[in-house]
Amino acid sequence: MKTIQPHTSSRLDEVKHLRDIFNAQNSKELKVAFDALNASIEISEEDLEVQFNRYFIGPMEPIADPFASIYIDDPDVVMSKSTLHVRELYETMGFTYPLKNIIPDDHLGVELDAYYQLLYLEEAKEITYLSDLRHYFLHEHLSLWVPRFIARALEHSEHDSKAMTFILLQLKSLLIRETTTQGVTA
Amino acid sequence: MSYSKENVESIVNNGISRRSFLKGLAASGVLSSFPGGILQANEDLNTKIPYLGEKSYQTFRNACPRNCYDTCSIKTYVKDGVMQFIEGATESTYTHGGCCVKGNSYVKRVYSARRLKFPMMQVGGKGSGNWKRISWDQAMDIIAKKLLEMKKEDGTLLGAALTKYSGNFGITHYGIEGMFNSIGYTTRLAGTPCWPAGIDAQNLDMGDMWCNDPEEMKDSKFIILWGVNPASNSIHSMKYIYEAKKKGAKVVVIDPVFTEAASKASQYIQIKAGTDGLLALGMAKIIIEAGLHDQKWLDANSKGYKEYKAYLDKEVKLDNVSKITGIPLAMIKELALSFAKAKPATIWMGYGMQRHTNGGSMIRAIDAFVAVSGNIGKYAGGARYGHLNTWGFNYAALSQTKPEGSVGYTGPEGAKGDVAQGKDAKSNYTDRFLNINKTARELINAKEPKVRLLWVACKNVFAQDFDRNQLIRAFQQLDLVVVADQFFNETAKWADIVLPVATQFEEYDVNVSYWHYWLTLNEQAIKPLFEVKSDLEIAAMLSKRMNQLQTGSCTFPQSVDTKAMMAKEFNPGIYEQFGIKSWEELKNGPVKAKAVIPYADGKFKTPSGKFEFYSDKALELFGSALPTYLEVRKPYDKFRMTSPHSRWSLHSQFQNLEWMEDVHPEPYVYINPDDAEAKMVKEGDTVAVFNKQGLLRVKAKLTDNVQAGTVLMYEQWYNNNIYNVNELVDDTSSDMGAFKTGAPGVALHDTFVNFRKL
Repeated sequence: MKTIQPHTSSRLDEVKHLRDIFNAQNSKELKVAFDALNASIEISEEDLEVQFNRYFIGPMEPIADPFASIYIDDPDVVMSKSTLHVRELYETMGFTYPLKNIIPDDHLGVELDAYYQLLYLEEAKEITYLSDLRHYFLHEHLSLWVPRFIARALEHSEHDSKAMTFILLQLKSLLIRETTTQGVTA
Repeated sequence: MSYSKENVESIVNNGISRRSFLKGLAASGVLSSFPGGILQANEDLNTKIPYLGEKSYQTFRNACPRNCYDTCSIKTYVKDGVMQFIEGATESTYTHGGCCVKGNSYVKRVYSARRLKFPMMQVGGKGSGNWKRISWDQAMDIIAKKLLEMKKEDGTLLGAALTKYSGNFGITHYGIEGMFNSIGYTTRLAGTPCWPAGIDAQNLDMGDMWCNDPEEMKDSKFIILWGVNPASNSIHSMKYIYEAKKKGAKVVVIDPVFTEAASKASQYIQIKAGTDGLLALGMAKIIIEAGLHDQKWLDANSKGYKEYKAYLDKEVKLDNVSKITGIPLAMIKELALSFAKAKPATIWMGYGMQRHTNGGSMIRAIDAFVAVSGNIGKYAGGARYGHLNTWGFNYAALSQTKPEGSVGYTGPEGAKGDVAQGKDAKSNYTDRFLNINKTARELINAKEPKVRLLWVACKNVFAQDFDRNQLIRAFQQLDLVVVADQFFNETAKWADIVLPVATQFEEYDVNVSYWHYWLTLNEQAIKPLFEVKSDLEIAAMLSKRMNQLQTGSCTFPQSVDTKAMMAKEFNPGIYEQFGIKSWEELKNGPVKAKAVIPYADGKFKTPSGKFEFYSDKALELFGSALPTYLEVRKPYDKFRMTSPHSRWSLHSQFQNLEWMEDVHPEPYVYINPDDAEAKMVKEGDTVAVFNKQGLLRVKAKLTDNVQAGTVLMYEQWYNNNIYNVNELVDDTSSDMGAFKTGAPGVALHDTFVNFRKL
């Protein structure tokens, strides 16, 4: 089993920046979060958002929907079984979700937020009470669908967006690092 | 570090473990250490055992607001704020506890990943596919500024056009027209693509469009389903038809296409399209000659029977009727005589038949036949087409005053649509009405001022309006196209701004049918998803922004509550008709209007007060006082193309959902095997279907359900498929429609095409 221990702040920051990318409400927020990843890719706010929307938002069918239920339950609908499973996990983690029943609980940005906050407890506050839940969330949920989400976005892209590829690869490396860092016991 | 999956799952799923875990969590002070994000620390952890959360079902009353005969009463089951399933309401004897497959898919529709989620703007030009999110405030700012700029430059708001139709027939959705009423005199795409020629025909004959309760059909002794296919498109009506048949009634389907309903009938008669009126005239002649007409009823209740009979005697030759309709004379005679002998007998006329250049005259001819047989004004009888008899709401959302000083159109009064919006008595101005059935050319040709802004609501223009290629040109010349919808359809593709609209489960409304007699409350069952808003809320936001920019420029309320707006639609007349004291009673379930037999009292709303075989109004407007035989449009290409409704969709709605895509994944052209053989086309071949309008590539299915000389393609919108039958349909008018709906219907079944194998 690999035991890589990356620098704590960058590990936390990367989750945070990726979270902020997927939760951005407009071009500006998206660009700020994207730039924070140090991509060294020159792209305008508008182009970045247009590409992001084509990949993940819409209004036409995006290349890859950023919801767990799409990959776990049903490729066409949100708010299904796995969404409600994530809802239960959040409740057990001690979270309340102000956008409950508005933005599905299993939206990638929300899940990264949960993961970021749990990791923050451990890394910044050295609190391990929710550590098992974080691992469970990572191995039994995020790992179940995020790789498929990334693969779909990378494989089906006809647009060859450097910026989106960078985001997806960052997400992929984050997931690999988190899963291999922590190990699994079944 | 390791973790135990079993341990975590026990915490999540086992009440006692969960309580102890959460108690520990609360005591540990962990909650105050969360950094906070979208998720917040829950300071009020629920540690009850058993933990039910909000897991018990809540139920809500809903209605299916689509353009469908059945307008189902729905009961919606919600758990923890999430719709779980729906069922037909059992209180309505019509819905009878069951919805159609489309209705049953509503959970998938509401939670479809394909729904429009945010207001968005197309930044690379219409059709570019480059979209950017904008806030609702930004969207309203752009639209409000454009409207005020146009008003300043043109001196009127006639450059702003609204096209809205039947995507949601909820009563408060007339608030969209209300929004346009509230900004001034504007341009409306008016009239109706649906049923106008038939509405005119029935109004000329009887002074109204008013059908008997469909539930009575169970007691009919003879039912003719004439150009209507309820087995696909009004499935709840079929139980009455089956019951009648079980009790010995004869059920005959007359249709150019062998439909699902035909397969359930006692007899199917395949008629040549566009000749139905002549068949009805021939049948009337036969029963009169046999002395089976209801002379007593005719004497007491009709006007012009003598002239009508003289026309039949002189002009209608039965040999010709047989030849032109393609039906053997003996079969016509048997049909006419057995219908006349059965009492009560009824005819249900579909909306396809009147979509011919002679459509209105055909409905008049069938009305006349039913009248001659003595079945008008009778329980379980009637010439059934549709009704708006239960639609007497206040239209409070619709009725908005114009801002002071508004300047409008001064030309002749134009089209109005299903719900009449009369000329403002106190004003010299009206809105400018353009014919909805000629949307493309009317948008292009409108001048002084030209149309610069188009608002599309409850309507997929590209799927439903005609001549797609010209529509693209029309949209491209507009400064600003706003499409308010639930899904990204082809119309949205050509928009500048798309606005995500709530489903009926996310707002309050009230619904009635144009067929049955039930009234249904539509409660908000769930929170609106993402950033979707109801059409009324959108109107309020626009009003707010317009008034911020220019006080008094919009009279629409600046904030609305859909429940309060819905409540305003009720009045004592509705309460009396449905036997309730308050709309709140509808929370217990749908209610039915008090029983009434149309025209049983012999009172018709025609000028003469009688059933008018001879109509002066018809003579004045359409050149023929009598229901005469009018020849259908001459072919301009080799094959007739008919484009009826599909059972997998409701116009352009539902086909994009998984259940429908599963069973009906792609469009086909249905070709008679004889025609296919002549063109060397085999099942599954891709063919080009083409005419002077355009060309479609589509797979062939061979079936003798369609007659030789005719091809069939359903009018549908497919997600991610360029197919659109209106590529081939021109905007030729039907004969009637201008009388009651302001613009003639469209003769879409008089489309002609050719095809070849690719």
